[in-house]
Amino acid sequence: MIRGLLAPVTALVLSVLACGDAVAQKGPGAPILSGPLAKLDIKPAQVDTAKGTSKGTLTVAMHFALDPGWLDPLEHSYAITQQMYDYLVHDTMIKPMPYGYVTYGLAEHVELAADFRRAAFRLRPGLKFHDGHALTTADVKWTYENYKGAYAKLFHDKLEHIQIVDDRTIVFHFKEPFIDFMDIYNGGVSGIGWIVPRHYYEKAGRDGFKAKPIGAGPYRLVSQQAGVQMTFEAVDDYWRRTPATKTIVVKGIRDPATRMAGLQTGELDLAFGMTGKVLPRLMADPNLRYDPNFTGPWWLMFPGYNEPGSPFRDKRVRQAVSLAINRPFLVKQETQGIGKPWGNWISSENRDALQGAEAPVPEYNVEKAKQLMAQAGVPDGFEVDYLPFPPYFDMGERIITDLRAIGIRGKLQSLEGPAFRGKINQGRKGVPGNRTIVQNIDPRAGGSKNNIAVYAVCDSPSSFVCEPQIEALWKKHQASLDLAERERLIKSIQKIMLDEHYFVPIYWNPFVHGIGPRVLPEGKAVSKYWDTLNAPYPWPWEVWEVKADR
Amino acid sequence: MRRYILVRALYSVVTLWLLVTIIFGLVRLTGDPVEMKAEAGADAAYVARLKHDWGLDQSLPRQYLSFLGNLLQGDFGHSFEKSLPVRDIYFERLPNSLKLGFAAFVISIVLGVPLGMLSALKVNSWWDSVGKGIALFGLSMPGFFVGLVLIIVFGIQLGWLPVLGKGRSAFVGSDPSTWVLFWFKDWSHLIMPAFALGWYFSGAMLRITRSGMLDVLGSDYIKLVRLKGVPERMVVAKHAFKNSMIPVLTFAGLNLLIIVNFAVVIEVIFNWPGVGQLLYDGLSNRDFPMVQGVVLMSGLMIVVLNFAIDVLYGYVDPRIRLSR
Repeated sequence: MIRGLLAPVTALVLSVLACGDAVAQKGPGAPILSGPLAKLDIKPAQVDTAKGTSKGTLTVAMHFALDPGWLDPLEHSYAITQQMYDYLVHDTMIKPMPYGYVTYGLAEHVELAADFRRAAFRLRPGLKFHDGHALTTADVKWTYENYKGAYAKLFHDKLEHIQIVDDRTIVFHFKEPFIDFMDIYNGGVSGIGWIVPRHYYEKAGRDGFKAKPIGAGPYRLVSQQAGVQMTFEAVDDYWRRTPATKTIVVKGIRDPATRMAGLQTGELDLAFGMTGKVLPRLMADPNLRYDPNFTGPWWLMFPGYNEPGSPFRDKRVRQAVSLAINRPFLVKQETQGIGKPWGNWISSENRDALQGAEAPVPEYNVEKAKQLMAQAGVPDGFEVDYLPFPPYFDMGERIITDLRAIGIRGKLQSLEGPAFRGKINQGRKGVPGNRTIVQNIDPRAGGSKNNIAVYAVCDSPSSFVCEPQIEALWKKHQASLDLAERERLIKSIQKIMLDEHYFVPIYWNPFVHGIGPRVLPEGKAVSKYWDTLNAPYPWPWEVWEVKADR
Repeated sequence: MRRYILVRALYSVVTLWLLVTIIFGLVRLTGDPVEMKAEAGADAAYVARLKHDWGLDQSLPRQYLSFLGNLLQGDFGHSFEKSLPVRDIYFERLPNSLKLGFAAFVISIVLGVPLGMLSALKVNSWWDSVGKGIALFGLSMPGFFVGLVLIIVFGIQLGWLPVLGKGRSAFVGSDPSTWVLFWFKDWSHLIMPAFALGWYFSGAMLRITRSGMLDVLGSDYIKLVRLKGVPERMVVAKHAFKNSMIPVLTFAGLNLLIIVNFAVVIEVIFNWPGVGQLLYDGLSNRDFPMVQGVVLMSGLMIVVLNFAIDVLYGYVDPRIRLSR
């Protein structure tokens, strides 16, 4: 009798508790949260309900060895490379797509409380993982709770609890306002929004999942040789559309000349990183096409600029460096004229970045630079170590040549990629001495605030700039819940960075991709695949179309 | 003899222990893999997790002991860069390296030995000059250059041969049907990398065959055979050839191991998925377990080969085992 009464009472209590937080109603646009909501700019997903047929094989060459770890969103790295695999195998609640920087993915409806303490998502109906198992809010919750990749600490520290309203509705409750939540829950920035199947992960284990993952994305992994090749096959009933290409083969090919040869022989259809010496060959080949694929701007940094004894302590010296660089010539030499001289160190595709008249391209004026050097008390210049981003050593040599005209005598320090990253990741600490110029690039998504947070604030592990004026604005930004004010503050920080020449922007880099003749559509229209903002790789993959296999 | 074998075996074990200890220390001098993997701006918790996952939060002696303990159980550790057990990745790649290595080895023998013999038999003739010229080209023209020329001519210009990878065939331990087929499929993928790799070694093989043959042809017993009136063809085939091959075969055995384990440049140029590329990737990315695993396996092969040679020498020539 008592047991018979307990069940309905418990159910009633639970439903009242649930209603206290959220009002779960069915229907795509029905509200979930009670109370005032923040305005979100999430574009609707473009769903193609016509059942098409996948055909052909797209063979893609990455420019480094492939890591099976990229197939596991739970251990998502900070590197944006991993998103390429997320977009193949997995799917996320919200994500950048060609039709919007934030678009609906697995979620068909999203709400954020005006106080930024709750975020609610409603999943599309009928979602399934590759093994046919239903994707529910239990998987969304499990993914969040077990996530240990980039920004994991922030997500876990902010979380109060997760409320599953039903199989399709979930509400995240935060201990304090989490204003950046939507920015970094977005699939373009971290891995926590890419939903992992709990039932399979627990069965396969950590290694097993990396070796043979399943997800809810447009492609399923059919085979892989660690480091060498991954083969993916289209999931015909993917919710957004039937993928146009039947098979996608991704190969890890480090050598650019080998990638070029692969494009020329037709063994590759798409090759990344076709810059440097292979670029003129790619551009000259009538059978091949390319997309400039602008990623981020190059910029120079002066580690230890604010320390006594550093010649870069004087703003005029930093400005002289900027004036001495012949950006149009550099663009011509380094990128065959594809790059764009640029006036900011943050990509214009990143939200709130200064561009155009707000960040004009610095002039090339050697005479003025010499005058500034003389005014700063270093008319004869000085010696510096020059640390270029590998493998762009030729570019480093060219900049050193420009700087020599104003007496700055650079000594090129060529490090291999991981060693360079190891130094930069440590910020100022990683580059001892105060007479070094570092040439860097970092196409980073999630808004310009992310670039600032990494390089230009004092408490970042990778900080290269630590200025009281910027710190004050940054603290105000972090405390503010007013989106307009936050944007204003981010722009003000950028203005200071540029006016004071803490960083010297050079040009917007094209990370050129080569395209073979089998990729459709013909001609330059193929560039539509690179329309997703802030994406160094041409996702989403379900839209890629190739000619049928021979 | 038993004592001799035991002593040689002990030497082999000590050599391997020294090798793994030295490589354990050396890779750790090359930099912090966590700093390299973490990316700019990575928070401290993320960095700490990587360190923990990779065992780098332990003291060096503890890391070393745990490395040795795992090795004794056949566990080479988890690759930092490829996120899977090193042993699985290594043994997935090894058949590819063996396939390329054997093919290159055969090319080096087929080109080097007959030409070396011809050179020695026709010493100071036009044939000898050609042979010496080929040896010079073989040794001075690096494999990557030969590889690039082959790619341009036969891959791009003529379109006869594929330039990337090993083809679709794979050796799968759990699938016996692949054990034989693997070696006989996708030969078009093998021709260019095998030739580029074998080319260098054919030059070396040619020279060592020539000098070995010249030594033997000038020896007293060959003079005696000739004085007995044995036809020159028999002198060469029956008496000179066999003896001149002893240094060639010793050299060839070591060559085979080098070809299999360290064909890094050719593997990179042709994107051949062998163990050489694993070593290259491992070194580039400070993937300690991968470097340790590949070096250990290469060392093991060399130590086992040397052990086998020592034991064979001991059997063949009792003076050797008595003197040791």
